[in-house]
Amino acid sequence: MMRRIGRRKSPQPSLKAIWRAHIDDHPIGLAWSPDGKLLAAAGVSGPITLFYGADGVVHRKLPGHPLGTMAISWHKDSRLLASVGQDGKVRLWDTKIGTQTAEMAGGASWVERVAFSPAGDLLVSAAGRKLRMWNANGELNCEFPDANSTITDIKWRNNGKQFAISAYNGVVLYAPSEAEPLNRFEWQGSTLTLEWSPDGRHIATGDQDSTVHFWHVESGQDLQMWGYETKVLELAWSFNSRYLATGGGTQAVIWDCSGKGPENTRPIMLEGHQRLIKHLKFQRQGMLLASGGNDGLLAIWEIEKKKPVLLADAVFKTPIAGLAWSPDDRRIAVSDENGILSIAAAQ
Amino acid sequence: MMNTVETRVPVTVLTGFLGAGKTTLLNRVLTENHGKRIAVIENEFGEIGIDNDLVIGAEEEIFEMNNGCICCTVRGDLIRILSHLMKRRDKFDYIMVETTGMADPGPVAQTFYVDDDMQDKLLLDAIVTVVDAKHIWEHIDDSDEAKEQVAFADVILLNKIDLVAPEDLDRLEARIKSMNSMAKICRTRDAVVEMDNILNVGGFNLDRALEIDPKFMEPEYPFEWSGIYELSAGSYEWVMGEGPDPVMGAALLPLSNNGLVAKEATLMDAVLTFSEDEQAVQAGETLRLGNGQHNQLVLNGKGETVFNFVIQQPGCYMLFTEHHPDEFDAHLCGTDAVLVPLETREYKPDHEHDEEVTSVGIALPGDFHLERLNGWLSQLLRVHGQDIFRMKGVLSVRGWDKRFVFQGVHMLFDGRPDRPWANEPRHNKMVFIGRNLDRAALEEGFRACLVS
Repeated sequence: MMRRIGRRKSPQPSLKAIWRAHIDDHPIGLAWSPDGKLLAAAGVSGPITLFYGADGVVHRKLPGHPLGTMAISWHKDSRLLASVGQDGKVRLWDTKIGTQTAEMAGGASWVERVAFSPAGDLLVSAAGRKLRMWNANGELNCEFPDANSTITDIKWRNNGKQFAISAYNGVVLYAPSEAEPLNRFEWQGSTLTLEWSPDGRHIATGDQDSTVHFWHVESGQDLQMWGYETKVLELAWSFNSRYLATGGGTQAVIWDCSGKGPENTRPIMLEGHQRLIKHLKFQRQGMLLASGGNDGLLAIWEIEKKKPVLLADAVFKTPIAGLAWSPDDRRIAVSDENGILSIAAAQ
Repeated sequence: MMNTVETRVPVTVLTGFLGAGKTTLLNRVLTENHGKRIAVIENEFGEIGIDNDLVIGAEEEIFEMNNGCICCTVRGDLIRILSHLMKRRDKFDYIMVETTGMADPGPVAQTFYVDDDMQDKLLLDAIVTVVDAKHIWEHIDDSDEAKEQVAFADVILLNKIDLVAPEDLDRLEARIKSMNSMAKICRTRDAVVEMDNILNVGGFNLDRALEIDPKFMEPEYPFEWSGIYELSAGSYEWVMGEGPDPVMGAALLPLSNNGLVAKEATLMDAVLTFSEDEQAVQAGETLRLGNGQHNQLVLNGKGETVFNFVIQQPGCYMLFTEHHPDEFDAHLCGTDAVLVPLETREYKPDHEHDEEVTSVGIALPGDFHLERLNGWLSQLLRVHGQDIFRMKGVLSVRGWDKRFVFQGVHMLFDGRPDRPWANEPRHNKMVFIGRNLDRAALEEGFRACLVS
């Protein structure tokens, strides 16, 4: 349930829930269809629920994966949805009619990652060390050589010309047309997640050893940020590639990458969470940043002139399990571990 | 925040060489009617549900948390699988992690200390090592993995006892205890064991270790016995019968008076004397008296052997013997009678086989200065972390009404207050298990952290 907490500066727009729903499971993925009409919420036990974004009415409920769904990704046509799970499968769903259109073997018992290319013509999946690329019909397009260890993340560059994976030992860069990697950005540590800067010039990673890295894609130069409280799983770039928000603690740390970059600069700190921050999301075209933590706090911040301003907040009873800005940036979807799903207006 | 209500899910780590009986034990755990919902993570691929339980396959993936630091190696696959498992609504009462036969248990155990999500939701309950009582001898002397699996264990199942003679089993148990005096040892056949012995054992139970071996906390000595005799000037004979060994170390030291301080001082002299090279003393020869005189009494093959000595300065003397005199039916004779010692003491012997892997237990009265203790422990683990496999303790901290309990794996440790001391006398107990441990240095460091 949402309620506002006191002690904040006025005037602030309040965070009002437009609709709420409950999925009776721990949500592991929240994803708006690119046209903003549907919101997909996957539960850890498997089923994927498709809500109408406008009012929260359930459009379809897809069975997902027996034993559990791990990740979902929308096709840009807003009709096809890919999912992967602990049954070792990659599945494609026609969300309009609610049927499965393809089922593919991921290559290992847990398929953990999936990502449609920006154009929607290609889909990359990762299961253990297996990296496979499919077309939108579910036909195998390429099987890449096995990664050195379990692949922890896959992200496409905005222009669709490259994608990167993370694993123990850093980041590996691929072009969809070649099986051999384009480049490797090596770090002797377990890299857990990666994010391309929207301009494609940098790849940020969060690592198990409590570091954040900025890889300059062209030169392969690494800039390391130390001193996080814990492993870093939360990374978010602002749309203009200026700010990188990072978690890995109770305070979000925001690096200003403008000018000469974040090296030797003092980052912006977001103070307000009592427990570890687990989710950070910038708007797609705006400067609002949403943070969600294990304390159940959802906070919306505005980052202006190096100062964070808390605009609105809400407290859930259990830790925040997912955040997603709508494609038009006007609404934010948030779920907690109890399966409460709430859609609020940003402004 | 001090949270005293334990909400974390207990985890048992199962180790043991290939063929020792881990799978048999796992199958028992999964089929036994214990009323618990158990998730098992094993080395096979796949995920299967068995009634209420769940078996998940894992591909062992070990990595270093910090560049090059072996003590900070963890199992990345476990972090991923367990993080996911903890999100499930169908909560599990218990998690068991099976390691491969050749695995070093360190990285598995460390995983539960170094990752915040793991520490938040899971509690390493115990490391259970299954030992093949028949074949362990092939590994125990030269396999680091076998030694580490024994050293890390909270519970050791000596399995396949039906294939081994009882005396060999006793020998094996003694050997294992010399390496890890803290573990609870269960003798099993076909891995049949009460679930209470392996689930929710609270590996931390130091009191239990004391129950098993009350001498455990005492320092070890190079001799097993001492006797105090009041001797007047004259000649004496030390007469020994046949015994378990053809030779026996002995030292005869003057004791200035019968007070405790004097006895402790002489005891220290005896330890030093026993560290000198021994000098052989044949039948009929003189047993040398005084500090630094480490006699090695050489027995006749058959019958009694007599050693002589002469006392010039009347007074009290302490005779230290490597073995208990009863084992050799040994006695001290004056001119016309067998002498009875004024008092005797038995000592916990050290282990002559010179075990690389040993346990050191330290018990001290007093209260700890928490900061000093933290500083010392951090320093100790920084320097010796690779050699210290496990560490446990129950301590009395100045100003705290609760017991401070901690346990560690290599360089990592987790300490927290648990129940109040209440009527229990406050005390400090600490156990280290590891390679080449220096008892004196550990005790000295530990003692320096007391509030003076």
